[in-house]
Amino acid sequence: MSERKEPLLAGTTGCPGCGALITAHWVLEALGSNIVVIVPAGCLATVGASGLRSAWPVPFVHSLFESAPAVATGIRHALDLRGRPDTQVVVLAGDSATLDIGFQALSGMATRGENILYICYDNEAAMNTSGQANGASPRCALTPTTPAGHPGLKKDGPGLMVAHRIPYVATASISHRDDFMGKLKKAARIPGPRYIHVLSPCPTFWDYPPDRTVEVAGESVEGGLWQLFEWEDGKVRVTYRPQPRIPLRDYFAMQGRFRGMKTEEVEQIQRQVDSFWGEEL
Amino acid sequence: MKKLLNGNEAAAAGARLSKVQVIPSYPITPSFPVHHQLARDVMEGKLQARFINMESDQSAIAAAVGASLGGLRTFTATNSQGLAYMSEHLFYASGLRLPIVMAVVSRALSAPHCRFADHGDVLAQKTSGWMIFFCETHQEILDTCIQLYKICEDPRVQTPAMLGYESYIQSHTFEPVDVPAEEAVDAYLGQRKALGNVVDPDHPLSINPATPPALYMDFKYQQWKAMEGSLTIIEEVRQSFRDAFRRDHGGAVDTQRMEDAEVAVATMGSMARTSRQAILELRKEGVRAGLLRLRAFRPFPAGQLRKCLASVERVVVLDKNSSPGAGGGLYDELRAALYDGNGRGKGPPKVFGYIAGLGGRDVTVGDIKQAVRASVPGKEGLHWMGFPDE
Repeated sequence: MSERKEPLLAGTTGCPGCGALITAHWVLEALGSNIVVIVPAGCLATVGASGLRSAWPVPFVHSLFESAPAVATGIRHALDLRGRPDTQVVVLAGDSATLDIGFQALSGMATRGENILYICYDNEAAMNTSGQANGASPRCALTPTTPAGHPGLKKDGPGLMVAHRIPYVATASISHRDDFMGKLKKAARIPGPRYIHVLSPCPTFWDYPPDRTVEVAGESVEGGLWQLFEWEDGKVRVTYRPQPRIPLRDYFAMQGRFRGMKTEEVEQIQRQVDSFWGEEL
Repeated sequence: MKKLLNGNEAAAAGARLSKVQVIPSYPITPSFPVHHQLARDVMEGKLQARFINMESDQSAIAAAVGASLGGLRTFTATNSQGLAYMSEHLFYASGLRLPIVMAVVSRALSAPHCRFADHGDVLAQKTSGWMIFFCETHQEILDTCIQLYKICEDPRVQTPAMLGYESYIQSHTFEPVDVPAEEAVDAYLGQRKALGNVVDPDHPLSINPATPPALYMDFKYQQWKAMEGSLTIIEEVRQSFRDAFRRDHGGAVDTQRMEDAEVAVATMGSMARTSRQAILELRKEGVRAGLLRLRAFRPFPAGQLRKCLASVERVVVLDKNSSPGAGGGLYDELRAALYDGNGRGKGPPKVFGYIAGLGGRDVTVGDIKQAVRASVPGKEGLHWMGFPDE
């Protein structure tokens, strides 16, 4: 095996500014070529391989929507039996596949203790079907199926995985590359089920200019809304503390999906975030 | 060595002798003892395999897909609700051309909730691209498991298969079964030789990319041709198995007294066993009856059926399933197969269909004899056994 220079090859069909593709690039860059990638239904399952063309330089399996962790389980055991325990089995799944339709399979993978690295690229809605709301969508987000704004609360995916007491859980953001790459490399060295949840904005359905993807993700982290931490050996560690935190109103203002949000709703979320960090702005 | 086994034990023995390497498991009644037996076999070192406790039927078949994509021989078992829950992955597995064998212990689908025999679970998956076999004896369950790996893993086939037998009537009853020696099965079956569709970090492939209209139909055509061509492989394996083990359960079809039959009973699974006795008695009573048993419902052996039925006057079809608003699975397809006659001389035989034994209701020798005797002109069409015609 030779080390590749190019992680994901050119010619993907993702939208300009696609956060999921940035995630995919960095995952491949961090983990090297001795990996197998399983991607369930979602944008990333189709933008990298279509017809007779593929941008995936490593084995890639497009699974059904709800079962990537189960397909990965079968592949993991087969590789082990074939004398390839060194090969990293990686699930790269969107937030619908992770937190909603596929959560059962993810939970099973975790409780069985499978030696699989699971990465959720979170763009907070079901983008491959034009962005309808799901369990990862934030309150007030305008989506095709919540035209009056999403009434629910965003599901705490990393918290659910911490509750499974697996060896490693982390959050990351494509705006904070060193933090993300460090967590990927650390996770790669830990055996057992591992989970990394990466904020990966979508310009198409968050409705912001495609050249601002990294900036939008950064606003969320620097505003303290998306918190970067890792959970290991029963302890949580904040890996990045935004100082000073910036007000969240800009984060909401820069995205069309929040244009229906009222000032008091922004203020309420600001108070919740302030409370989390234990300090007012 | 002869052993007294129930149907589930026969299936587990077949899997063990086939040296399956990965067993993703999600037990359901009445196939759960297959899982329990194989878990013990793996723990006791009788079988070198990974037994994986999955969290749902759907994940069990998904993990089977993963393991089979990993190049290994893979087995699991399910039935009824479990099979229905797996449905999406059945199409996925066959489209990926993975030679998985799965025991399916046919049980009625809810509602109403019922634990007993009914082919409706399997028949609902008839377009899934899986080979579908129904067994008549426990010996056949064990032997067919081995045969199916031989057939499915053939480079010309590369298609998954269901090893069918029935809830309780077959899964929990005991019969003497000749369990072949491990070495004999090893010599016959060997290890799976995986073809190109394998996940291998040294030879990266993109598996199941988005496929446009210009390609999708080509894949489906190849799948169709492989299934159609498997009829030849089934016959080859019937012969090679007979040579190796001195046992013959038939190929895609199995017959009894069809040479001079004027009326045929066509059926699948446990009702074939009962029909044999009915046919013996009818013969004694002067009715020239014969049995046409389909071992394989997929591939559907239409040509063989036409040949077998070329000179009978009447066919009585027994279906342990129903398709509301249409008919029974075998009744519908057998009649469709017979329709393609040569257009001259006498037409195809008259067909009398019976929906029978749903949800494990008894189908007796007397019931079958009565159905044969009632197959008189004017009574063609579909009937419900034990229910009045309109």
